[in-house]
Amino acid sequence: MAARIICRQNKLIKTLICRPQSTMSAFEIQHKTPLIKKTEPIPVALYGGRHAVTMLPGGGIGPELMSYVREVFKYAGAPVDFEVIDIDPSDESIDYALTSIKRNGVAIKGNIETKSENTEIISRNVAIRNELDLYINIVHCKSFPGVHARQSNIDLMIIRQNTEGEYAMLEHESVYGVIESMKVVTESNSERVARYAFEFAKRNGRKKVTTIHKANIMKLSDGLFLDTSKRIALEYPEIEHNDMIIDNCCMQLVSNPHQFDVMMMTNLYGSIVSNVACGLIGGAGLLSGRNYGDHYAIFEPGTRNTGTAIAGKNIANPVAMLSASVDMLEHLGHQQHATLIRRAIEKTICEDRIHTSDLGGTAKSTDVVQKVIDHILESDIRPWYKRY
Amino acid sequence: MTPVGKGHRSLNLALRKEFNLYANVRPCRSLEGFKTLYDQVDVVTIRENTEGEYSGIEHEIVDGVVQSIKLITEEASRRVAEFAFQYTIENNRRKVTAVHKANIMRMSDGLFLRCCREMAHKYKEVKFEEKYLDTVCLNMVQDPNQYDVLVMPNLYGDILSDMCAGLVGGLGLTPSGNIGLNGALFESVHGTAPDIAGQDKANPTALLLSAVMMLRYMQLNRYGDLIEKACFDTIKEAKYLTGDLGGKAKCSEFTNEICSKVAAAS
Amino acid sequence: MSLVTRQLPKLLLQTSQVTASRNIHSSIANSNAAKADSSEREGTRIKCTLIPGDGVGPELVASVASLFKNTGIPVDFENYFFSEVNPTLSTNLEDVASSIERNRVCLKGILASPDFGYLGELQTLNMKLRNALDLYANVVHVKSLPGVKRRHENIDCVIIREQTEGEYSALEHESVKGVVECLKIVTAKKSQRIAKFAFDYAIKNKRKKVTAVHKANIMKLGDGLFLRSCEEMAKLYPTIEFEKMIVDNCTMQMVSNPQQFDVMVTPNLYGNIVDNLASGLVGGAGVVAGASYSANCVVFEPGARHTFSEAVGKNVANPTAMMLCAAKLLNHVNLPQYGQMIRDAVNKVLLDGKVRTKDLGGQASTQEYTFAVIANCKQPQIQQKK
Repeated sequence: MAARIICRQNKLIKTLICRPQSTMSAFEIQHKTPLIKKTEPIPVALYGGRHAVTMLPGGGIGPELMSYVREVFKYAGAPVDFEVIDIDPSDESIDYALTSIKRNGVAIKGNIETKSENTEIISRNVAIRNELDLYINIVHCKSFPGVHARQSNIDLMIIRQNTEGEYAMLEHESVYGVIESMKVVTESNSERVARYAFEFAKRNGRKKVTTIHKANIMKLSDGLFLDTSKRIALEYPEIEHNDMIIDNCCMQLVSNPHQFDVMMMTNLYGSIVSNVACGLIGGAGLLSGRNYGDHYAIFEPGTRNTGTAIAGKNIANPVAMLSASVDMLEHLGHQQHATLIRRAIEKTICEDRIHTSDLGGTAKSTDVVQKVIDHILESDIRPWYKRY
Repeated sequence: MTPVGKGHRSLNLALRKEFNLYANVRPCRSLEGFKTLYDQVDVVTIRENTEGEYSGIEHEIVDGVVQSIKLITEEASRRVAEFAFQYTIENNRRKVTAVHKANIMRMSDGLFLRCCREMAHKYKEVKFEEKYLDTVCLNMVQDPNQYDVLVMPNLYGDILSDMCAGLVGGLGLTPSGNIGLNGALFESVHGTAPDIAGQDKANPTALLLSAVMMLRYMQLNRYGDLIEKACFDTIKEAKYLTGDLGGKAKCSEFTNEICSKVAAAS
Repeated sequence: MSLVTRQLPKLLLQTSQVTASRNIHSSIANSNAAKADSSEREGTRIKCTLIPGDGVGPELVASVASLFKNTGIPVDFENYFFSEVNPTLSTNLEDVASSIERNRVCLKGILASPDFGYLGELQTLNMKLRNALDLYANVVHVKSLPGVKRRHENIDCVIIREQTEGEYSALEHESVKGVVECLKIVTAKKSQRIAKFAFDYAIKNKRKKVTAVHKANIMKLGDGLFLRSCEEMAKLYPTIEFEKMIVDNCTMQMVSNPQQFDVMVTPNLYGNIVDNLASGLVGGAGVVAGASYSANCVVFEPGARHTFSEAVGKNVANPTAMMLCAAKLLNHVNLPQYGQMIRDAVNKVLLDGKVRTKDLGGQASTQEYTFAVIANCKQPQIQQKK
């Protein structure tokens, strides 16, 4: 397996020896034995109603956005204790972060820079996803009424396979000047995604699931993905199922996005579709993404950019990260606190129209956060009382 | 030394069973000349040694669930209680305290406590009191002088006796005796300290005082007193102290000094 | 930082105009600096179940209640009389448990456990409450108090005890006359849970070391399982040092060198012993705060469980433990500034040394001591929202 990862400088042996255990094992387990990972269950970190959550601020604007999250949580009285772990470029720190997520079960993260074009090094984000077997990525694309955008009233769920497909990162140079990149599609993983998508649709009262693929060209790999989703669709007769080719899908998205409801797709297409959809409703700063596996969940801003260029300038849009934190509260079961913060965000964006520059506004990041906090303070929902 | 973890039942346990050593006695006394945070401690712990938590009956019922049985019998409880009262009388002590947790373990510790009460009736001349285990722990470190002779089931005894030893300066100074139906065994209970073995550095006090206990058990009080006095005097004079007591003397030097004192006195 | 500093002018001006332009700081929000004084939403009062308990419990609870009242801490108590020694007057278990489940926090005095149960039951009321709520982790924070002179100084250790299984499960029977068997059950699941709790506690409170206390050299299976669970869990926490100690050695180390301990994790019985031992080292049952955690609720109670019933009505009991419990409670419910206020006030009173209860060598009554603490409370800066 490892022998296939041939680098330009043929550092094969070094690769074998130096690769840290965590990424190695994830890589191997994911692709050599494409079975669902077996994990020993660890007791959840919930003590006296307070959750422990791993916080990985990441690079760029990550740390400042995280400080906003903590600020908002404090004012909202959210019963969550963060374990903040700064990831530096060493392998130990990423290993430690993984261990921490395994203990806590839940994490919120900014984007982590890989900072290397070296072929030996796997992207850290991918490493985390593979190691924790977070096979689902969900981005909920919903228009904010107060944000000026090309399309309004969009409400899309984009469900994406997160661990294999084109991002399997199996690349090699077979002869000089010819690079092969492998795309891996497994039936078990496709089935997990399909089942999740339909189950999600059923539970959330959604009507339709669309499978996005390119099976007309990639008949075997995308074909398998498509066939699997069709097979699973039979088990959910109440939910409409159709499929669409990725290029057509992108066109339809910009012309008539309202035809879509829940969309499921492989890794690369997911990346494309979610970015297109984000653009439709007003930019990268608004949407949050969720990554689920069987045992762990990670919440992050929907589009994965570090935003290093605007770091420290107080102009980054905090909404995406705040939304991610709200998703996290919902996942943890703190519905009251989640609603409280979600409403405050919506009011700030839609009614008060306090927008950062990426939405065409002039407000600073801190203004948005301050407004959100004001709304929380004014709100008469008092989460602590009520049992959820 | 008993290895931690899985394996056979400990050898110590086997010895205890074989000779039916039902009572473990450990007098803990502050030694003059060796300063600790607590002074004038003089407590004797008497521990039931054959049953209780250390009965050795353990099994895994289903995977991941282990059940171990704490066994308390009337016979053994009465035996150790009687021993405690007799020891108190023989050694001119004032009071027996039964240490228990009968408010939680109402039947097992309750039985033990009942046996102690019966004995207290029989030996009316000795003062008797009952204390919860946690209360004893709390008070012992605040004011150890309020206790005299303590009698208790196996596990509590194990823990409390080591703690009392800690009050007076560690296991290197406290003797220990195991009294049984088929004989008595006197020992020093400190670890085997393999790191200083063969270097003539160890402190023989615990073993020596155990020997003194043995002499007394054999009704050879005169010799016992002689050796004990020599030993205490040596420590008090602080000329020949081993490393653990803050001195520089070797084990043999310390022993020689005691021998010369004994010789001078007799 | 900026968030808070921007709140201050608003507080001073008492302005109600939300649209008013603000004094904008361009610096990045720095949450560390802001931690010191945070805000409290007006009108958000917290409800807390209160069980005064037996012995001096009611006196101590009254002292805390007056402290809360006089310093305006926004906590309301839901009072339940709950007692095993007085079964006819006691509220039934279901009501108390459901109240705690609803409020998720509870302040509790000590319940006396008589040697013989009402109706001859083996389980004590304490155990029943613990089992009803699954309060599996008992945390006792033993810390030397400033100004209180004791043999040992600078003790700061946390004892975490599993309290739903092990020796104290009241599984006892008389197999033949004169022979009683008491079962000690150890399960991998609960052992792992408590081990994880201890390590998570260490991480959260930035502690360095976890010590597992056991007797696995004798009880090779039962304590062996506990120890193995701790070892497994320790692998997930590479930044926390892990060590093992046999319980008898542990008690000896505790009285000779207690400073070496940081976080300790123990099965039920050993925890009880070590708790009390450590409490004795820092000044007795009246000064050590503890808490019992389940997944969803917390019961705050003094760390060493003694009802001190001989002092009932004499106005001499030391309410420090209860006050520190209350401070922990406030921390838990997102009112850390009040928690800090109480802690500071207690420390100040102890450091001044003028007003002390009898157990710490003073002459003051419970009431005098409480008043002294109230007088030393410095109101935290609280943001008012109009």
